[in-house]
Amino acid sequence: MAGATRSPLVEGDTTVTDAVAGATVGLSAMLFALAIAALFERVNLTGTVAGLSTVTLLGGLLIGLGVAVSVFGLGSWFGYVETDPDASAGLIAGLGAAVPWFVVGGGVASQTLGFGTVGGVVGGLFVGGLTFAATAVPREDVGSTVPLGALLVLVGAVFLTGTIGPAWIWNLGWEQQASITAEFLVPTATLFCSLYGGWAAAKAYGRFGARGRHMGAYVLIYVNALSIVAFLFILIAFVVVQGISGLLNGAQVGAGVGPQVFGVVELPVYVPFVMNGVALLNDFQGVLPAIVGTIWLVVGAVLFAVPLGVGAAVFLTEYAERGRFTQIVEVSTNGLWSTPSIVFGLFGFAFLIPRFGNRKSLLAGMLTLGFMLLPLVLITSREAMIAVPDEYRDASAALGVPKWQTIRSVVLPAALPGVVTGVILGVGRIAGETAPILLTMAGGTFVPGGQTVDVIGGFEFTAAPPFVANPELLQATSALPYQLYALITAGVGLGSNVTDPDGFRWATALVLLVVVLSFYAIGIGARYYFRQRLRHE
Amino acid sequence: MSDSPQTQPQSQTRTKTTGSDQPLETTSGETVEETRDEWTEYNFDGEAKMVAEDLDVYYGDDHALKSVSMEIPEQSVTALIGPSGCGKSTYLRCLNRMNDRINAANVDGSVQLDGNEIYQDGINLVELRKRVGMVFQSPNPFPKSIRDNIAYGPRKHGDINTGLLARLLGRDDSEAERELVERALKQAALWDEVHDRMDDNALGLSGGQQQRLCIARCLSVDPEVILMDEPASALDPIATAKIEDLIHDLAEEYTVVIVTHNMQQAARISDQTAVFLTGGKLVEYDDTDRIFENPQSQRVEDYISGKFG
Repeated sequence: MAGATRSPLVEGDTTVTDAVAGATVGLSAMLFALAIAALFERVNLTGTVAGLSTVTLLGGLLIGLGVAVSVFGLGSWFGYVETDPDASAGLIAGLGAAVPWFVVGGGVASQTLGFGTVGGVVGGLFVGGLTFAATAVPREDVGSTVPLGALLVLVGAVFLTGTIGPAWIWNLGWEQQASITAEFLVPTATLFCSLYGGWAAAKAYGRFGARGRHMGAYVLIYVNALSIVAFLFILIAFVVVQGISGLLNGAQVGAGVGPQVFGVVELPVYVPFVMNGVALLNDFQGVLPAIVGTIWLVVGAVLFAVPLGVGAAVFLTEYAERGRFTQIVEVSTNGLWSTPSIVFGLFGFAFLIPRFGNRKSLLAGMLTLGFMLLPLVLITSREAMIAVPDEYRDASAALGVPKWQTIRSVVLPAALPGVVTGVILGVGRIAGETAPILLTMAGGTFVPGGQTVDVIGGFEFTAAPPFVANPELLQATSALPYQLYALITAGVGLGSNVTDPDGFRWATALVLLVVVLSFYAIGIGARYYFRQRLRHE
Repeated sequence: MSDSPQTQPQSQTRTKTTGSDQPLETTSGETVEETRDEWTEYNFDGEAKMVAEDLDVYYGDDHALKSVSMEIPEQSVTALIGPSGCGKSTYLRCLNRMNDRINAANVDGSVQLDGNEIYQDGINLVELRKRVGMVFQSPNPFPKSIRDNIAYGPRKHGDINTGLLARLLGRDDSEAERELVERALKQAALWDEVHDRMDDNALGLSGGQQQRLCIARCLSVDPEVILMDEPASALDPIATAKIEDLIHDLAEEYTVVIVTHNMQQAARISDQTAVFLTGGKLVEYDDTDRIFENPQSQRVEDYISGKFG
């Protein structure tokens, strides 16, 4: 590139081209957002956006995008725009462009022209092959823009002319018992078209060539990452929106409105849904027993699994000789981690329950979930300890410090952030687990407030061995995931004293989400603390 | 220390061949020069701190060190030089039994510290490594504060108690610990640079500071012998010069054994030099001046003048 000899006129041109290409990328981003909004029914297909019918608007924008992209490619081909294209757009770009054209060709051949399934495949292959050739054979600037621009124009025209309107429906026949509606097809087609258009426009923005490919990939990866984050937030927002009214049903703020805690202090807020059980005389029903049950379950499982898992990891990393034995342990822990949770539940049901008074209990649930957590704690602790540099162990040994002291003072502190990460991941899995709870500690659909477990207050001393007993641990209680499952399977009838069953369900789901996310927050805070202690200043 | 049986001072420590034998040795060395390939009889004044006799080390099938006999005089700097893979680091790691930590390593022969055999059953490894400390090639401070790094050894040995329990029982040694840390850091010439940030993480120090911190950590348990495995090879010239000055000062109190690749360094800082050559053999061991000015062995001369290795 002879940048030094370039005339000012061309530089001026470059800026305008940049602006137009950038606007084209922006147009595809807008189409992408519209498509997502339509897919989640935030924009109504039969309604209007900015005074235009939604489908018409989408069609018009698609045609605009397609034309703009094609103009860029052709402009580059005829030398109106200064670019640096490669000889070919490449095989992957060819395949990428061929797929949507295969779908279009197949659909038109089999349905519109009525050639049937075989005809559809033949037609699709024909059109897709043509596109592949049109993309891969010519120079990159034309190959990566014109076939995609044509696709965009075709789809836009179909929408604009009303060939596929808001009321369009394609029955797949009685065998499939399904149909594709415009509500699904229009946003999905727009979504893919906007991605293709955005990619081609980004390549044009980067003047094709190596920089163009970089820009194209950059746009796709950026959109990908943004969508993942967006979907996460949409999911959480969805649950919050659905559940917040049920959660705040009857909530009050003011001095002395809340229940007493520790027998003395009265809370200044009253949220019946998380502070009540279910009772006939309650004004508002709640899920307090399940919340408390979930928290105790996770605490119990962590207390059980973490010392065992970390201890086993210390043995395997620091003491056991690497060999057949450690390999077998490794394989079986990996296998245990992938074991379906219902199998763990069955183990708890068949092995633990007969040993704990032959009934479902909190303790059985804790241990079952603890067994589920154990392999992950073991695997991640082991990885974390292996990652601790041997230099630390050598330095400690050279000072004459015995092995156990070294492990306790050097290896474990350095491995702690990794161990905590493992516990966070594991808790995320077990806190939402339904199947093992179903078999080991199931409570009920509506749990009375009297069934709230009080593990700390439940300890009592007895005259005979083992001298300490805790009947609360041996009580059946409820947990949020199981209660949610029970609420859903209980159907529409539910209990007569719950006025809004749907709100109750969504609020339960919201509370479960909040409880699990709180455990995450605690774990991430702990990991941050331990990392700070090891920080490089 | 006196509670440990093998640390009893013994008056009949191996005495060295005195200066009167020297002419004889030299003569015999010169007369059989064509047939000899080792000049390892080194006569020096004073006591030997450590003595190795017929030391062989095998890593699996690899015979890494072949029948090395060597006496290390106390309160001096002994340099071990030689090309890579010649066994000098292996020899060094035998002196405090760090080779025990390598599963495949197999040590055969005898090493004595003040006349006590260290390769025997019932040896107290904790006591041995307290008396024979080690500084490694790359600085390896713990990811802890500077103070915790220095106080780590004494704390773990129970020499100072600063925990909660000690405080509750009124046996808090914080003052003793402060003095110990200060003394070790001053000995390692690091005190002036770090005294106002004792609670900062040691990994935030520069490479040269980290290495001096490791030396201070080694000094904190009050060793008698300090083994150094190329302690300056990862450092820049300025940091290297500081470490060399430090080693020179340490030799007044401690017995220092240092492995180095850098022959100028060995010439600058050591009192006597042992040259290991390929095959894990100790070829020549003598005063540093003699090794560098007038070596007996042709191979050593070639190595030192850069013709070989």
